[in-house]
Amino acid sequence: MTLLDIVDLEKEFGGLLAVDDLSLSVDRGELVGVMGPNGAGKSTLFNCVSGVVEPTDGTVAFDGEDVTGEQPEVLARRGLVRTFQHTRQLGTMTVRENVRLAAPDQAGERTLPALTRSQGMQETERRVVERADELVEAFELDHLADEYASNLSGGQRKLLELARVLMLDPDLLLLDEPFAGVNPTLTNDIADRIRALNDEGMTVVVIEHELETLTALVDRLVVLTQGSVLVDGDPETVLEDERVVEAYLGE
Amino acid sequence: MSVADRIRDGDGTLAAVAGVAAVVLALLFAVSPFTVGLPGELSVFVEVGVLFGLYVILVLGLDLQYGHTGLVNFGHVVFFAVGAYTAAILAAQDSFAGTSLGYPWPLALVAGVLVAAVVGAVVGATSLRLRDDFLAIATLATAEIFHTVTVNFSGTFGGSTGIFGVPQPVAAVAGDFGKTMLATLVLFLGLAALTYAIVTRLTTAPYGRVLRAIRADELVTRSVGKSTFRYKMQAFVYGAALAGFAGGLFALYNGAVAPSFFTIQVTVTVWIGMLLGGASNHRAVIGGLAVIMGLRLFSRFANDLAPVTSGEFASLRLIVVGMILVLVIRYRPAGIWGDAEELGVDS
Repeated sequence: MTLLDIVDLEKEFGGLLAVDDLSLSVDRGELVGVMGPNGAGKSTLFNCVSGVVEPTDGTVAFDGEDVTGEQPEVLARRGLVRTFQHTRQLGTMTVRENVRLAAPDQAGERTLPALTRSQGMQETERRVVERADELVEAFELDHLADEYASNLSGGQRKLLELARVLMLDPDLLLLDEPFAGVNPTLTNDIADRIRALNDEGMTVVVIEHELETLTALVDRLVVLTQGSVLVDGDPETVLEDERVVEAYLGE
Repeated sequence: MSVADRIRDGDGTLAAVAGVAAVVLALLFAVSPFTVGLPGELSVFVEVGVLFGLYVILVLGLDLQYGHTGLVNFGHVVFFAVGAYTAAILAAQDSFAGTSLGYPWPLALVAGVLVAAVVGAVVGATSLRLRDDFLAIATLATAEIFHTVTVNFSGTFGGSTGIFGVPQPVAAVAGDFGKTMLATLVLFLGLAALTYAIVTRLTTAPYGRVLRAIRADELVTRSVGKSTFRYKMQAFVYGAALAGFAGGLFALYNGAVAPSFFTIQVTVTVWIGMLLGGASNHRAVIGGLAVIMGLRLFSRFANDLAPVTSGEFASLRLIVVGMILVLVIRYRPAGIWGDAEELGVDS
């Protein structure tokens, strides 16, 4: 069953076609890798899908519904959640608060329940606190739980970002370079976690530069060049494809 | 579960109790048969204290907007002025300048809050989607425009004379000057405490977490499913409504409004108070406001000792305030009681 269906997507930035007539679909439960040289349009693809930028043309359907140009917050609430290539943490908030923020359906985020401290809101907040602490612990950030996120190292920020998006319990998780700037040990650790999430049924799409980790991780690999899909298939076949070698190594 | 884990509202509740107690006490005192003579030397302290109560309401609204949500509002005075003029026009009786409609004052006070909120919503709707710095310009311009309008549309706003004949409910009940001033002081400080309680309750709830997340990084906040525009609008409108409330109280205390009460000086004072104390910490901003208003009060006495005219002294005082702000920003960029890490500034 198709969860994400991208058809003829196009994004133009002042005459430059960053994404050019790109079509791609992801089935529920898949673990898909997206790679490609710099400027191939990987991040722009994510930005178009997650609502950060509006595509010039084409459609994005999520869970059977057209969500082209929908706002990021609406998509996140529907279950399409992303991370960012350059980790974006809420530096002026603690690790704990960073994770708690992402909790969905917290009535206490509306004015009146916040003022009246309604029973339901208190109950929800107890569950939020519990769940956030579990995630913080699962990502081995518990010793940093009360630290401001701006004090974390690059790798710790990647972990925090993962913990935060998991708070939303997404159906589709888009990870933009989760291994960038992360040491090899942590890279393996993060890869294992992504694999585990997928095993539990979460659909995951990973953008990555680093070939080895990605090919070992994913079931299916999509290679982009110049804004469109070059090759799409299982990792072994894709890596042997001459066009891929050419795109990566030049002629 | 640690203390920080629980939803903190300890001092919010305390402030609410103190606020209600103060308001009740002030009203009881006003209707009581007791009289007090307020010595001349003390009256200046009481006057500044009354203003302080109103400014606390202003600075708490600004702290909700800037300290928590990161919205730069350089025109806070306009919401104060809109609240005051609305209340004055509606409640005043037989003012010799401008419009006076003579409605009951409680209605006028409520209208002052509502109209200020509407003006806030209009400014917010047009500017909050734009880049942060546009809001600063838009609010600054709004304040300037409203000031010009009040001066020039004299049929409605009474021009530079303003509007007189606004009912003074506390004075009407209390009678003599000293008693009125004391009752007003306690009443306004009580209302300020209540405002503190409400704002604290809001910002210690998950609601405040979303506001602080918007200040930290709006895109991240959106990408975890929060409708940030709605929160920015709310924070902006709540701040405007609070300022409108303070404005309405001012009109009903002062008995008159005029453009000279609503200059950029008001905005500057609350901003300096907030930055001096430490934005995003409600207690700190009130502390900062107390420092700046205390300084102004005591410099009045210093003027008697200095060999300069009061006009010259006023300019010198501004220079001193500016220097203090420079020192604070240099050595305590998060303010005297502020948390540098929470504000994301290097100290």
